[in-house]
Amino acid sequence: MLQSVGSGLGIMALQSLLAPEASASTASSQNESKSGHGPHFEPKAKRVIFLYMDGGPSHVDTFDYKPMLEKFDGADPKQTIGKLAPTQFDNVGKVLASPWKFKQHGQSGAYVSDLFPHLATVVDDLAFVHSMTSEFSEHTSANYFLHTGNGLQGRPSMGAWLGYGLGTENSQLPGFVVINGGLIPPGGLDCFGSGFLPSAFQGSVFLPTGNPIANIQAHERSAQLQRKKLDFISNFDQDFLEATDFDPEIEAAISNYETAFQMQTTVPELVDLQQETQSTKRMYGIESDFKNTRTFGTQCLLARRLVERGVRFIELTCPSGNGDRWDQHNALVDGHTKNCRTVDQPIAALIKDLKQRGLFESTLVVWAGEFGRTPFAQGKNGRDHNPFGFTIWMAGGGVKGGVKVGETDPWGYRAVSNRYQIHDLHATMLHLLGVDHERSTFRFSGRDMRLTDVHGRLIEGVLA
Amino acid sequence: MNRTFLSTASSWRLTLAIVFALLGTRLSIASDRDPRHDFFENKIRPLLVQHCYECHGEGESEAGLQLDSRPGWEVGGDSGAAIVPGDADASLLIDAVRYTEDVIPGMPPDSRLSDDDVALLTKWVNEGAFDPRTQASSPESERATFSVSQRRAEHWSWQPIQNPDLPVVNQTDWPRKSLDHFIAKKLDDAGIVPAEDADDLVWLRRVCFDLTGLPPSLDQIQHFRDLLRTFESRQRAREQVVDELLDSPSFGEKWARHWMDLVRYAETFGHEFDYEIPYAHEYRDYLIRAFNLDVPYDQMIREHVAGDLLERPRRHETESFNESVIATGYWHLHEATHAPTDVLQNEADIAANQIDVFSKTFMGLTVACARCHDHKFDAISTADYYGLFSYLQSSRRIERPLDVHGRGAQIATQAQAIRRDFAERIGVATSDDRSKDAESQWVAPAGTRYIGFEDPELPNGWIVAGTSFGLVPDSPEARLSAGSHKHLPGTIDSSWYGEGAAGTLQSPTFEITSDKIHLRVRSDANQMIRVVIDNFQLAPANALLFRGTLLNGKQTDTKGQWQWKTLGGDLRKYIGQRAYLELIDRGPGSIAVDEIWFAGDGPPTRRAGDETSDSAANDDQAKSAEEALKAACGQWPAPRMVLAMAEGSAIQTPVYIRGSHTNQGDPVPQRNLEALGGRPRTRLELADEIASASNPLTTRVYVNRIWQKLFGKGIVESVDDFGPQGTRPSHPDLLDHLATTFSQDGWSTKRLLRRLVLSRTYGQSVVAHPRNSRQLLSTADPTNRLLHRMTLRRLPAESIRDAILHTAGTLSSDAFGPSVPTHRTAFMSGRGARRSGPLDGHGRRSIYLAVYRNFLNPFLTTFDRPNPFGPKGRRSQSNVPAQSLALMNDPFVIQQADKLGKQLVASAESPDAVIRGLVLRVHASEPSDDQVQSLVRFHQDLVRMHNGSGEAAWKDLVHALWNMKAFTYLR
Repeated sequence: MLQSVGSGLGIMALQSLLAPEASASTASSQNESKSGHGPHFEPKAKRVIFLYMDGGPSHVDTFDYKPMLEKFDGADPKQTIGKLAPTQFDNVGKVLASPWKFKQHGQSGAYVSDLFPHLATVVDDLAFVHSMTSEFSEHTSANYFLHTGNGLQGRPSMGAWLGYGLGTENSQLPGFVVINGGLIPPGGLDCFGSGFLPSAFQGSVFLPTGNPIANIQAHERSAQLQRKKLDFISNFDQDFLEATDFDPEIEAAISNYETAFQMQTTVPELVDLQQETQSTKRMYGIESDFKNTRTFGTQCLLARRLVERGVRFIELTCPSGNGDRWDQHNALVDGHTKNCRTVDQPIAALIKDLKQRGLFESTLVVWAGEFGRTPFAQGKNGRDHNPFGFTIWMAGGGVKGGVKVGETDPWGYRAVSNRYQIHDLHATMLHLLGVDHERSTFRFSGRDMRLTDVHGRLIEGVLA
Repeated sequence: MNRTFLSTASSWRLTLAIVFALLGTRLSIASDRDPRHDFFENKIRPLLVQHCYECHGEGESEAGLQLDSRPGWEVGGDSGAAIVPGDADASLLIDAVRYTEDVIPGMPPDSRLSDDDVALLTKWVNEGAFDPRTQASSPESERATFSVSQRRAEHWSWQPIQNPDLPVVNQTDWPRKSLDHFIAKKLDDAGIVPAEDADDLVWLRRVCFDLTGLPPSLDQIQHFRDLLRTFESRQRAREQVVDELLDSPSFGEKWARHWMDLVRYAETFGHEFDYEIPYAHEYRDYLIRAFNLDVPYDQMIREHVAGDLLERPRRHETESFNESVIATGYWHLHEATHAPTDVLQNEADIAANQIDVFSKTFMGLTVACARCHDHKFDAISTADYYGLFSYLQSSRRIERPLDVHGRGAQIATQAQAIRRDFAERIGVATSDDRSKDAESQWVAPAGTRYIGFEDPELPNGWIVAGTSFGLVPDSPEARLSAGSHKHLPGTIDSSWYGEGAAGTLQSPTFEITSDKIHLRVRSDANQMIRVVIDNFQLAPANALLFRGTLLNGKQTDTKGQWQWKTLGGDLRKYIGQRAYLELIDRGPGSIAVDEIWFAGDGPPTRRAGDETSDSAANDDQAKSAEEALKAACGQWPAPRMVLAMAEGSAIQTPVYIRGSHTNQGDPVPQRNLEALGGRPRTRLELADEIASASNPLTTRVYVNRIWQKLFGKGIVESVDDFGPQGTRPSHPDLLDHLATTFSQDGWSTKRLLRRLVLSRTYGQSVVAHPRNSRQLLSTADPTNRLLHRMTLRRLPAESIRDAILHTAGTLSSDAFGPSVPTHRTAFMSGRGARRSGPLDGHGRRSIYLAVYRNFLNPFLTTFDRPNPFGPKGRRSQSNVPAQSLALMNDPFVIQQADKLGKQLVASAESPDAVIRGLVLRVHASEPSDDQVQSLVRFHQDLVRMHNGSGEAAWKDLVHALWNMKAFTYLR
């Protein structure tokens, strides 16, 4: 049976009826809103795939190589690194060298640890930002910040923001889809909410199963029966329409039923991977002997299928069962090994697949956690949260591959060169989609709200 | 040397300066040119130009700071002077470039300067910060232009409310209520004819949904038809219906929900684990009762802002508990996170939400915009914001028992009488065994005694909620035990009135000075002993970063003995921060406190000698008195707690410069906004200032909210923002007329609503009058702001769900009490997920369904129930296919259709008759003969498609009716 979605359900529909150019204005008649503005300039990318690494991957074990940690492994970080900010668990151990080996890869010579053997083969397509920072050491606030540009609950997620600004290209599908690998990040569905934007723009949570969203399966035994009912409803509605002097609101509500009816077919079709070849599935890891690789591989393949169908913003969340997400407060080796194994092959396949299908140039791929991890141990074998400097990467439309931007200090503790914050990531993402983050505003409670608040500057180094 | 520097430098710095001055003098003799000049020009100026000017020079002044001249850094920015010449460590500029981030963010923000550059700047400052750029680049700072009085004078909503005369209108028989004159006048001016009156049934459906959130039942429809016949005056019949609806218990269930949108009502805190907000539903029930009783709105404001401080609180009509205090619970319905690494920041974030809710809800003001800087547009300063913050820092969140039926007061009176009687009979001769000296018998090597409870009065600043904690006097009365433990004189004991009593005890606010706090207690299990640091409340839910700062569960059990219990652990991290102690007894068992010590190490040890034995009732006289006392004190009903506000120690919050608590400015006393007087006031006085007819905002904002709910749009469309960024009123005179009559009419919500729904304006059809040309309407009133017709509205989320239950005959009439847990679907996973509730919510009205922040009801959310994060006076009104899918396929809808289908198939009536009744029931309209015929045919088709199953056919027919626009829309 179908279930209703989390906050997610509202989502789905929205865009549908809305013509892309007019999405926001139609969706909301409220005075608070301004109409969707469309691109401000020629976009480099049309869509985003946001690979959300829930829990905070360790940058010093993956992409930010720090030989100093080897040299001072086991030393007291307060002696070597210096003054430390309070940590989430207040259990500061010794300086901890990465248990993994780093090697340079590709023409660009980017360092990647041996946690990511597949991704290492595509580093020349990636632009690393080693100097990302966040304002929060705690998951929920950091998640909200990463998704909405604000540490509190209830602001529009970036996918909602793009939907509001740019509208949709496919009236049969939501403009903002979250493919849920099993874990909803701390902070819940509000990470994908529409905040003060009309609820139509919130993220629609898809499960990678046969009925990916709530209420998408007709309850009637036959399509014929449902069709019969819908036709009758539509006819009967004409009387009401007349009684309201053909109010456009009623007309739109009537036409929503037609869209909804079609979505019952198009959405299940979307998640039907039978149409994919064996080799494609194999490439994505869908035949892997590790279950989570199969799950995330399916998510990545679905992401590509959503891209093909013009969905504006696709976010992938992590599968469960790899320890506590990427949040390795202990058992770093076990947890990060499993997490990397889960995402490495599928992401590399996604990039290759997008390229071979000619979608890479029009798709922005972003890989990020809500923060990084401390270069010193939490307890003996874990790492605590570190928002002061961590690595994210971007690839695809408008992104210069094979570059690295910014640096952390020799410990990987604080960003010290070309320091960026989440607002800058958002500004850059919007920019690549053709949106000027300072001009993309929504009037709410007396202010012209922005995804980037009063901040945001472009991460110039990653722009092609 | 610069004179400013000399005049401001402290003496040792002066000495240093003189040394440098002499040095400079000497050097200047040696060369024509001051070498400091060269150093500045060669090393420092390029650094400043390259790294600082972009934001702090050449016209830019981020954070109010300019670094392109000496006066620029001398005056400094929001945080004060940027440089203390001669003292790099005390200079904010150096702090910034060092990236310590102790006070202000690291600068330049993108990349830290090289160590060499930092060293150069440090050297420059330490050597006196020689700076030849003596001409201020732009002396006019941003702050100097801000003027509350000027802003206030310039904006309409700050001006006094007028009582305008009723305008003269062309068609004098059109207006029915005074407000109609204002509408008609504008329509006259635009040359538009108002719409015709709506049909009776259309009006009835409209007014039923608007006043009760439910459709008219078949009985109500019949009743209305009877009234129309009885009175012959349509208006009389409508008045009667309106009065009945206003008296219906459903009224409060509808109107409380509107208010809940404003106060971001929720029952969990959201964030990672979605912890429960205790007793939240009591506040919801308070609202429903208050709206049903038509508590005057000014009274409701006082109760919300300072219900705990009212001299004569309002009491529940039959159960006599204090209603007023429950309203203060709204302050505490904010989101909250566990384990903040910066607890003061956490407090500031919560306060920002509380101030936002308070100021928007009651006054339509965006005060929260002034958290970091003076309001960009409105007459609200940053000091105003921190004046309101002071109220919050001076207040407490407290768990408070309701004294239902006054049982607690009765028990206390009885107990006192028994004790007094006993004491009188015993006389002074047999004094208590143990006289406790004021001086403690205890000593701690490295600590101080914080408090004991020897005095007959509660020590200054201590707060007690409930009839539970009582001071045990050093007198014979103490010999009688009210519960299973003996009372010890000179202590405070939550079993003083019996063990079933519940209550909370809080200390004054103090600064944490020691690693440990020791309390000598006698306690049962499951009591709460904790230290609340910077008002952080979530430690009991998750103690991360606050380990050891609270004791509960088995930890509090002293097995009837007096023992030292210690709060410690993470406490040491918070030395220097503000805190208070809290003991909570939620009913069974008790806790008593003798004395409390602040000490770095172990608990105090006995000074000398044995403890004297506790008092005991050991003679017959005493035994019988004690029996009577135990009997009286054994009568406690189960406690009923609410979350409330209490007055704490007075604190003046300093301005957090640029919103940063690490950078504090001048303290601001508890006060209202300067534009509204702004003199220091108690919280109760603040409440009075808000709840005043002379406040230019309060009544305007409220009547506008009510108007909006009925007419779809407010007279001021931006209902939560009456500031310069909001919209201006479409009918300013009407707004003032409504505000004036509202306050003159005793601030009655029901009478205001009565005037509105009985007006001609409200009674219009949604179709414009045919005499108006389309051309005229599309130019003169394209958005219907002038209300030339009634607004077409979609039903609110709750009404859609409630109407499904109502028309299915499955709506429960149960009112009040704990919420029904949210039915959780496969799409609703995540941390903090609770056990899933029933699909149909036990048939309860939607207001009784749980509001878990991280697991909001998806059906209601789809229909624009807002996310509870801040005040939302106006919901989005989306119109999307997800809503179609919900009504087409949601299992709840199907389940209800199934139930109604079963009822219908059992009907003995003909399909024709069943269908007529059904359409009246579901759409509150009389179907035309054509419609009946087509429905009958449809039913026959369905029966055929279901192979003869009447039940399945009826189910599908009902389902279809719910999916029609005549169901989901209100015309």
